[in-house]
Amino acid sequence: MRLPCRLALLLVLAAASSGCSSVEPWVKPYERQYFADIVMSGERDPVAAAYLNHVFEAREGARGATGSHGGGCGCN
Amino acid sequence: MGNIRGMLFATCLALGLPALAWGAATPGSPAPDFTLAARDGGKVSLAELKGQVVMINFWATWCGPCRQEMPLFAQLQSKYEPLGFTLLAVNVEPDSAAAVTWLKGMPITFPILFDTDSAVAGRFGVEGMPSTVFVDRNGQVRYVHRGYKPGDEGKYADMIRSLVKE
Repeated sequence: MRLPCRLALLLVLAAASSGCSSVEPWVKPYERQYFADIVMSGERDPVAAAYLNHVFEAREGARGATGSHGGGCGCN
Repeated sequence: MGNIRGMLFATCLALGLPALAWGAATPGSPAPDFTLAARDGGKVSLAELKGQVVMINFWATWCGPCRQEMPLFAQLQSKYEPLGFTLLAVNVEPDSAAAVTWLKGMPITFPILFDTDSAVAGRFGVEGMPSTVFVDRNGQVRYVHRGYKPGDEGKYADMIRSLVKE
């Protein structure tokens, strides 16, 4: 009874500790250009996104924390 | 007691096995052979260069330090070529057009190779960009240098000198 228990623990330990070292898929250092792909961008169209952000900010009366500056009047 | 030892062994095995698969080109191991298309239209294989000291540099145009060190390589090549040395600059980009454009007009005399499917970079286990591997006259990997910061070209020259002397 104790042996299978230990064996199971051993297996779990072995599986768990090897899980830390190799995660797939993993972007290799020489594949980093894929991060710059358009698919990786949160905003498909930067011009439309900037305009929408401006509209939301004006409507909310709150600005900031999005990388833009202003006082919340929606005038800049 | 025996079980603890067994457990220790299993843990070491679990931690060690992925590490074995990881570091492909470590100092002291034979350099994995490759044949790649060169910029001048021909092909270059590492096996053909046996007997020479070979410095393999993995680079890309999106990598700032790589672009910084590329002009310095021309000096290394011209200085150590007569002593049986060659530099291979392996571009790891899937589309080599950016590299060709960037290299236009640069005084580069060493082969620029295109590893478009990153197979060679994978076999060498490139762990950073740029990575530079120094292979001795017997085809053994002797030094692996990761990254580049100004002044590292002195280290490159030291490594080349020590290998050329052998």
